[in-house]
Amino acid sequence: MADERSAVGEIADRLWAAQSSGEVCAAPSADFSDLDVETAYAVQHQIIRRRQKQGLQGRPAHRVGRKIGLTSPAIQDWLGVDEPDFGVLLDDMVVLDGMEAPTSVLLQPRVEAEVAFVLADDLVGPAVTAADVIRATDHVLPALEIIDSRIADWDITYEDTIADNASSGLFVLGNSPRRLLDVDLKLAGMALRKNGDVVSTGAGAACLGHPINAVVWLANKLAEFGQSLAAGEIVLSGALGPVSDVRSGDWVRADIASLGSVSVRFG
Amino acid sequence: MALDDQIIDDLAEVVDEAARNSEPIVMLTAEHPEMTLEDAYTIQRRSIARRIERGESLVGMKMGLTSKAKMDQMGVHNPIYGHLTDSMMLADGASIEHAAYCHPRVEPEIAFVMADDISGEVGPREALAAVEGICPALEIIDSRYKDFEFTLIDVVADNASSTGFVLGPTVAPPEWVELGNLGMVMSINGEVKATGSSAAILEHPARSLAALITMLDERGEGLHKGQVVLAGGATKAIHVHPGDRIGLEVDSLKMVELKIS
Repeated sequence: MADERSAVGEIADRLWAAQSSGEVCAAPSADFSDLDVETAYAVQHQIIRRRQKQGLQGRPAHRVGRKIGLTSPAIQDWLGVDEPDFGVLLDDMVVLDGMEAPTSVLLQPRVEAEVAFVLADDLVGPAVTAADVIRATDHVLPALEIIDSRIADWDITYEDTIADNASSGLFVLGNSPRRLLDVDLKLAGMALRKNGDVVSTGAGAACLGHPINAVVWLANKLAEFGQSLAAGEIVLSGALGPVSDVRSGDWVRADIASLGSVSVRFG
Repeated sequence: MALDDQIIDDLAEVVDEAARNSEPIVMLTAEHPEMTLEDAYTIQRRSIARRIERGESLVGMKMGLTSKAKMDQMGVHNPIYGHLTDSMMLADGASIEHAAYCHPRVEPEIAFVMADDISGEVGPREALAAVEGICPALEIIDSRYKDFEFTLIDVVADNASSTGFVLGPTVAPPEWVELGNLGMVMSINGEVKATGSSAAILEHPARSLAALITMLDERGEGLHKGQVVLAGGATKAIHVHPGDRIGLEVDSLKMVELKIS
């Protein structure tokens, strides 16, 4: 137990140092052979607590939601898993629609287009169904997630990405709310443009068959950790198409049919 | 340097017979490395003329290489086109025999049905004005070349790999749908195999239609009222197998289905 606690602390320190210094680190899984899923979530929890207490740049962060990762069959196959993962969204990860993302906090950014759910009610698992998610959702928004990895070359395992807060970086919400009643998320087309050219396309079904399925999974998964989703939380439900690399000077826009668009610039 | 007219005739026969008998052939450019893209389109037209002599009729056109990824893969900057005849047209829900093809694959597409004749150098808006409606489509593509070895020029000579297509029963006026970003979900036996958006088709299917009309104009040709245009694949093509039941759902346009036996 003492060993495990120290492994959690050591891995958290390593990822924290990478984030703070902007220098990528070696994959924790390469050095901690007993890094399992439970330990990985414990690492994530410790890093998030630290960001909530002291913050990355001295300003304590606040939790504003959760993100779901690894929601496409292709990505799950790549990591050899049959389940998504989740991370925590903090207020210091927010970039406003159309604004510039602070590239100084990013190491190896990539961008993907997603549907964000904003909850009107708590969602407490287990036994959460799609009907519960629909009832608890106030509205949905188009979103860009700027994912990032503190681990060199994105050479990650399932456990590594969980420990690294599900490879979260920053995120951007569009400002055009829609009700679930008015949209067919499964067949909503997605086009991601970088510097004006279409670089990624997809549809809602790419996210676990339907973005609502991903939120159902999250609510029930959180219950295994004694956690739940609270009214007002934002849930980034998972990518609708392939990710795109980005670099300084790029501008990116996602259009999600019937949800509208969202964009960001990289300074 | 262009090919001799007699050689073009002979090669038209070779590709026509290969398609007719589903007999794989060696890529034409192996023996005729000097073949140009122009030659390839002439071979394509003469092979279609042979089909028409046998009683088939031209029902439309198809576009290929309409995604940036595919163009990059083939090292080209323009899409390509092929001809569609009535023998390639299958009814929604039809069943095809796997054994009748070489390496069949299926692509999810958007099809246009033309309301008017149109020709010339046109833009997307003018092209759309000649459209009666759009519908979901599955295209069966089958390369007749051995071991999938071919160049772009070979593909064009082989009628851009056209083999068969199925149109969905719902034809909607283009202004009713978000044509530039229609979600497309292709499933095999109920499992989602590919998801995409019509934005993958030259960033907007109307651009593909306009590009086709403009390319046809180079040969003094155009599209005619009632013709069908397959605008291009929205995802990569998927290999199919006996027992597969393929479904394509397109946002606002319902479903189209094909069975493989």
